[in-house]
Amino acid sequence: MTTATAVRPHRVTPARVLRSEWHKLWTIRSTWINLVATSVLTLGMGVGIGAAYDGSGEGGLDTVVFVLLGTQFATINLAVLGILATAGEYSTGQIRTTMTAVPRRLPVLWAKAAVLAAVALPLCLWTNLLTFPLAQAFLTDTDQSAALGDPGVLRGLAGNAAALTLLTVMALGLGAVTRSIPIAIGAYIGLVMIVPEVLTVLPYAVVDDAVRYFPAQALQSLTAARPAPDALSPGAALLTLALWAAVSLAAAASTLRRRDV
Amino acid sequence: MITAQDLTKRYGDRTVVTGLSFTVRPGTVTGFLGPNGAGKSTTMRMILGLDAPTRGHATIGDRAYAAHPAPLTEVGALLEARSVHPGRTAFHHLRALAHTHGIPRSRVEHVLGLTGLTEVAHRRVKGFSLGMGQRLGIAAALLGDPATVILDEPVNGLDPEGVLWIRTLLKSLAAEGRTVLVSSHLMSEMALTADHLVIIGRGRLLADTTVTDFVRRSGAGTVKVVTPRAADLVRHLTAPGVTVTTDAPGHLTAPGVTVTTDAPGHLTVHGTDAEHIGRTAAAHGIPLYELTPGTASLEEAFMDLTHDAVEYPATLEGAAA
Repeated sequence: MTTATAVRPHRVTPARVLRSEWHKLWTIRSTWINLVATSVLTLGMGVGIGAAYDGSGEGGLDTVVFVLLGTQFATINLAVLGILATAGEYSTGQIRTTMTAVPRRLPVLWAKAAVLAAVALPLCLWTNLLTFPLAQAFLTDTDQSAALGDPGVLRGLAGNAAALTLLTVMALGLGAVTRSIPIAIGAYIGLVMIVPEVLTVLPYAVVDDAVRYFPAQALQSLTAARPAPDALSPGAALLTLALWAAVSLAAAASTLRRRDV
Repeated sequence: MITAQDLTKRYGDRTVVTGLSFTVRPGTVTGFLGPNGAGKSTTMRMILGLDAPTRGHATIGDRAYAAHPAPLTEVGALLEARSVHPGRTAFHHLRALAHTHGIPRSRVEHVLGLTGLTEVAHRRVKGFSLGMGQRLGIAAALLGDPATVILDEPVNGLDPEGVLWIRTLLKSLAAEGRTVLVSSHLMSEMALTADHLVIIGRGRLLADTTVTDFVRRSGAGTVKVVTPRAADLVRHLTAPGVTVTTDAPGHLTAPGVTVTTDAPGHLTVHGTDAEHIGRTAAAHGIPLYELTPGTASLEEAFMDLTHDAVEYPATLEGAAA
């Protein structure tokens, strides 16, 4: 070994932190299982629903929403992946190694969010683009029949992928704030599934209005080929989800800077 | 070089480290000693920027750890708690770490070889024994070929061969001119490895000394002498022609021999044995009332020093209750 005091070609750069996080993501077996499961469940559910549909109508459910019902699993799966990327490092102790290598801390958070988004977005996009025509093969001559070129369909498929990606980033932020896998998953499920359901029961118009801005409702608005009249417009829904993700990341950044590792 | 300046850490109303200042110099192994719960790990975490000090600061070289553009090439650290994802292999753990600094794959393979992990490099860490985990932590610490190495309780859980390996490694790292700070709660271990000692208890500095000095003051190898002609004996013991210097009241030092006066006529002599003192006294007709070789061990001296600072001292009453 030679002493490294003379020459130091190595230094931490954002690109290198990205590369490190990319390497970390793919060298854990659960990442592969999670991503394959996410894709297969969406595809399988889409095809299964298409094959089982008897054409009796689904209360006017939007075609893209109908075909992509399997992405319900993705909202949980991908969120867990995001939470594992941050809170998971605290439970294993890996965070101490990570933050010793990058003591400025924030580049790690940005890199984790970027890596996960770069994986989730194409995965969801390709899965959706594959699921739709496969499911539609069973749906010709039903009221759910639609083509990729129909108005709003491609936008719905892409919008759903974008929404899932932003939810993943939001979950990653929750994991970094709570530093606990169970608490982060609990908070995420509460926010995405339980709280809006409870709120809609309340007999106040203002609550109904507010519920539209919750993540799952915005995801639904973004997925629909023809958004319901009382739902957010796709543009507003995308902005809403981007804000959820941004607020969560900002909270994560602030926690990371202030608290001890 | 590591410099801690007035380091203080409070968690709520519990102060773990209080006003700790010390310097760790390159080219030597510095032992960081203290009973469990003394604040060793917290201090190391503050040096590494993992914990923010409530007061004071620590620097490595000319700046704080986090301000270095390539921290892994400045400091390599092994923390007490395992800091590895159990599902990743040793190789990929190090590879991901290396990527942050653009350290090449060849260096990853080099440190794996250096720590004897080449054969298990592609096994997942969850199957590693305590010793293999420690070796992986040391491989990670050496990855950036750092000028400073900080190891928290590195011999914990190691078999005798592993302990010997660590000892040799620490000494060779220091011989290469690196700064080496290694914590332990075992004085005997440090006496074999370290040149310098920083001893803390309950988060406070108890001693900042060399091992040689600590050994000398510990009473191991000292002889207690009581004589009415103390001054004469001292003069003869410290040999004719040698200048006797006084560096503290009642503390005379000559090359090889140190004499401390505790009370009039009571001497503690270090650097020679009872036989030599007895013969010297007889040759000059100096009467001796007492001539007792000291028996205190290093471990006892360490326990004396840290006695009041032990977090949960064991008591017989406690055991009986």
